[in-house]
Amino acid sequence: MQVIVMDNLLNELKASIIESLRLENITPAQIADDSPLFGGGLGLDSIDALELVVMLEQKYGIVIKDIEEGRPAFKSVRTLADFIQARRSPK
Amino acid sequence: MDKIYITAASQASPGDARAAQFGARFGRLDLASQLALMAVESLGIDFDELPRERVGICLASRDGSLAADCEYWRGRGAAGGPSPALFVYTLPSAAIGELAIRHRLTGPSLCLVGPGSVLTEAADWLRRGEVEACLCVECRVITPALGEMIGSPPDAAAFALFLRRGGWRALEENERDMERLCAAFSAHTAAS
Repeated sequence: MQVIVMDNLLNELKASIIESLRLENITPAQIADDSPLFGGGLGLDSIDALELVVMLEQKYGIVIKDIEEGRPAFKSVRTLADFIQARRSPK
Repeated sequence: MDKIYITAASQASPGDARAAQFGARFGRLDLASQLALMAVESLGIDFDELPRERVGICLASRDGSLAADCEYWRGRGAAGGPSPALFVYTLPSAAIGELAIRHRLTGPSLCLVGPGSVLTEAADWLRRGEVEACLCVECRVITPALGEMIGSPPDAAAFALFLRRGGWRALEENERDMERLCAAFSAHTAAS
């Protein structure tokens, strides 16, 4: 069950990234779970990082106030999904 | 007075199929920058044949960044605030930066906001020897949202001319209408 939830989140995140960054001619299937989001094939830059911070707040209600806190989360789609899961889990 | 020539002319409008050639990041650009890039690409200029620090860019942005400003303003109430990527385009000269980056041009640039023409300034740069060639671009962008706000019909187009000291035909002293010049160049190339 946990695996299905994670798979759904990964796919949802890829679609959200494509939508919020207005990536053209790229499908969720073309974004690998563990590929680097920055410095990789998607060609994302610092403005995109800010756009992803906004997307996290709009879509998941997660506010990142310190960019250093969010930096490890933005390594890949999987690390971002893990970050969202951790923030969603009751403490 | 030295004659300055129009070497090439082209125009672009929204929904142009040429957008596909610009890759995945094209969607991030504002409409004015997209149109400017498409119009300049269609000029077919080989910038490798020119010293890039001697190619100027003159942009006449009739509506400035109002369309992006309007969209940014509308996003102010959203969770997380308005789009950071859109903020970049709330400057009327943003299209100059996009053109310079794409073609690696490092010459002088000029942005005129309003209904005026930049052809006189570009011709003066050439006559004074400040540049060897000059890209002249005119952008008009009134999105439906902006049109509603200012009471104008939607409009979007870009026109590009490439000026040098030789080429298709001389630029007349009082010529300002880039749309008409683009149409004339298009008729000329269709006939030849």
